[in-house]
Amino acid sequence: MTKEKHLHDLTLIMTVCNLAIIVFYCLIRTVTTYRICDSFGAYDFLSTVEATPQRPWLIPVQALSLYLLLFVLSYLKFRWKIRNPWVRLFLCVAELLLCIGVIASLNFYYSGVALLVLADLIYYIQHNRLRLLFMAILIVLFAFAQFEIISLPNHSVAFSSYLSYYTPFVRSVFTGIESVLVSGNILLFVLYMILLFTGEQEENDRIRKLNQQLNAANTQLKDYAVELERMTEIRERNRLAREIHDTLGHTLTGIIMGADAALALFSVAPEEAKKRVQIIAQSAREGLTDVRRSIKALRPDTLEQHSLGQALEKLVADFRLTTGVDILYEPLSQPLTFAPDEEDAIYRIIQESMTNAVRHGHASQIRLSLTWLNHVLTIHIQDNGLGCVQLEEGFGLRHMEERLRLLGGTLTYGNGSQKVGPGGSGFFVTAKIPVREKKEVCAND
Amino acid sequence: MSRGAHRWLAALVAVLILGGIVVAIAYRPGSTLTIGVYSGSYWGTPTGDCYQVVDDAIARFESEHPGVQVEYVSGISTDSYSEWLAQQILKGTEPDVFFVLPEDFNLLVSSGALAQLDQRMDADSTFDPDAYYAPSLSSGVLEGRQYALPYESVPTMMFVNKTLLEAHDIQMPDNNWTWDDFYSICTQITDVDQHQFGVYGYTWLDALYSNGGTLFSQDGSSCLLTSQPVQSSIRFVQQLNDLNEGYQVTSRDFDLGNVAFRPFLFSEYRAYQPYPWRVKKYSSFEWECVCMPAGDQGGNVSELQTMLLGISSRSRNPDLAWEFAKLLSYDESIQRELYSYSHGISPLRAVAEDDEILSQLHKDIPGDGSGSFSREVIGGIMNHALTVPKFDGYDQALTMAQTAVAKVMNSGESAVSPLLEPQREINLFLSKN
Repeated sequence: MTKEKHLHDLTLIMTVCNLAIIVFYCLIRTVTTYRICDSFGAYDFLSTVEATPQRPWLIPVQALSLYLLLFVLSYLKFRWKIRNPWVRLFLCVAELLLCIGVIASLNFYYSGVALLVLADLIYYIQHNRLRLLFMAILIVLFAFAQFEIISLPNHSVAFSSYLSYYTPFVRSVFTGIESVLVSGNILLFVLYMILLFTGEQEENDRIRKLNQQLNAANTQLKDYAVELERMTEIRERNRLAREIHDTLGHTLTGIIMGADAALALFSVAPEEAKKRVQIIAQSAREGLTDVRRSIKALRPDTLEQHSLGQALEKLVADFRLTTGVDILYEPLSQPLTFAPDEEDAIYRIIQESMTNAVRHGHASQIRLSLTWLNHVLTIHIQDNGLGCVQLEEGFGLRHMEERLRLLGGTLTYGNGSQKVGPGGSGFFVTAKIPVREKKEVCAND
Repeated sequence: MSRGAHRWLAALVAVLILGGIVVAIAYRPGSTLTIGVYSGSYWGTPTGDCYQVVDDAIARFESEHPGVQVEYVSGISTDSYSEWLAQQILKGTEPDVFFVLPEDFNLLVSSGALAQLDQRMDADSTFDPDAYYAPSLSSGVLEGRQYALPYESVPTMMFVNKTLLEAHDIQMPDNNWTWDDFYSICTQITDVDQHQFGVYGYTWLDALYSNGGTLFSQDGSSCLLTSQPVQSSIRFVQQLNDLNEGYQVTSRDFDLGNVAFRPFLFSEYRAYQPYPWRVKKYSSFEWECVCMPAGDQGGNVSELQTMLLGISSRSRNPDLAWEFAKLLSYDESIQRELYSYSHGISPLRAVAEDDEILSQLHKDIPGDGSGSFSREVIGGIMNHALTVPKFDGYDQALTMAQTAVAKVMNSGESAVSPLLEPQREINLFLSKN
């Protein structure tokens, strides 16, 4: 903030310095012209300069008015905070043209205004290449006029001709004032550049430091993620171990003990041993059921035995058989394979929706369709039931939504038919699931 | 943009529009044409109403261009006219059309004050450059470009002291006389003891021009100081000076009637020839004028001085300015008035060789006039008069040459070798220009 203020102050001082030079230059020209005329030296002056002197009022009017416009433009440029790059570029070009105008109106005698504009534009232009372009133009402009690299076909009277009217002492005073102002302007410009670029250096250092910190934090976060995964794995393993110990361990222990006992009894009491073996078989069956139950807690068992397509066929057939509802099922044209969690979600949503249709809507017809488009699976279930005046908790819709949210999908539902529009009878549920990865089309196994 | 920004923008637009209006007003073609006129005669001869011709032209111009006003500042003498004009140029208030004194022409062109006229002359169907005598028109040319129109021309003539010639029984020379005639008359008349001399004020440049030579090449790129015509001219003037046995003839000697010849401007002749001026000018002798004597390689030719009319290169009414300059320079009835109010010769053939004008000239000459200014003589003088080709740095180069020649003549050396060095210097100066 202080740096910006310093830069702003420097620009202001440069503006005043340039104004002083232009006023000084115009004053010398105009006043000297009239002094020459008053002392009847016009003819001699004209024969020494051999050029058309411009109308005395023309240079002050042109140069000062253009300079004023330049000042107003550079001031407004910062006030207006324009974002559009084209408008910004336009303003820069306008400023450059005004600068050339000022210098040309001073007969290319003084070109320090180019430095002022350069300082202004370097700060304003963000685009690096554009900045370089403007820099090049302005420096060339400044240098060509300042050091007279090429003498322009200039038909105006040189400033020195006006100075030569005065006595050597007065002349030296004037040239002294001039060089103080001109070199002051250059000095201010150098100061400005130093301030600007050291400021930019600091800014760059700060950004680099921040970047390093960010990278460190990122690495740490990755480590944490790995750690978390490992811990989750361990917890799950422990749970499974506990489960196995609780159910399978218990049952197997019983079976082993029973089997040992049966072995011992075989020769003594074969009938008793046979009973024992029967018990062992019974408890083995129960153990199996336990194992199944614990897996069932994780997955629907039909899905465990069949592919999704077959499981859905079975679900629909069973539902039709048990409820007598007419179900129109349009399966996917191509059998796709999904990740287990996706399969679970699809299965559960269809199961829940059909149950809802019968339980709450008393529907006699259900239309179920699956479509696959652009990696999105759409499940549409439409019934001809009563619909629902007020949705109540417990319809399982929230669970469906939660399931879908985990997969990044969406759920829409409502009365009527989506195709006919709301208000019609019946209820519809539409679920869209973005499938994570396009699976290879594979044969239905 | 905020509210403040809108206000600023509005202010900026207002300033721009205001500035535009000011510029438009400042540069609009006005209805007032200004002209720069000097008072009195440039040729140093007494005149009656010096503004009469200009006033008549203005009256006619204003009646032909209703709504246009032509203005001039009166009372600027010929001596201060150059300075006045330079001041106006410096202040940027120079007139649209102004008279250009012959000696100011180069300076005004090189300072860019004069507009180029070639395009206007070509574009104007009512303007024919051939109506002018070529030497008069070409005096407004610098480096091949026309910058001014001729207004009035005055050739240099040789004044002859008729009384002195008659006293020596010498016949008045005619307009076809030569250097030999000139030299033999001077030899007969010169008698240092009696304080009688052949000629006063006849320079090597006068001799050069009548010897078919020029000092500089046509394009002004080289000096011809060691060329044959220049050499023989210097030698001829040296011979004439040698007759005086070292005595420096003065203008007083001529005024007292002791010198036979003196080069003078034609305007002097026109001004002082009619009665009573002729008696007032030289009461002690009768006088007459003839063309300059012809050299071996030249004719009866002299340098032509021409008053010019220029148009300001910054004029806001360039079209009106051209029309007015054309009226003054090209209009026959205006040009005719010159013979009543001034003493030059019109640069227009049709006017200078007009019977009425010629008879007006004859009327001024007492006695039979002996046809000294017949149509042929006037036409001859004007057609063959010499206009020195002008270029940048002409005045300085001429001064350098004159200094060098004066040095040679004073030393009495043979002319060629001492002039080689100055010629080299002048050529160097010209090449830098």
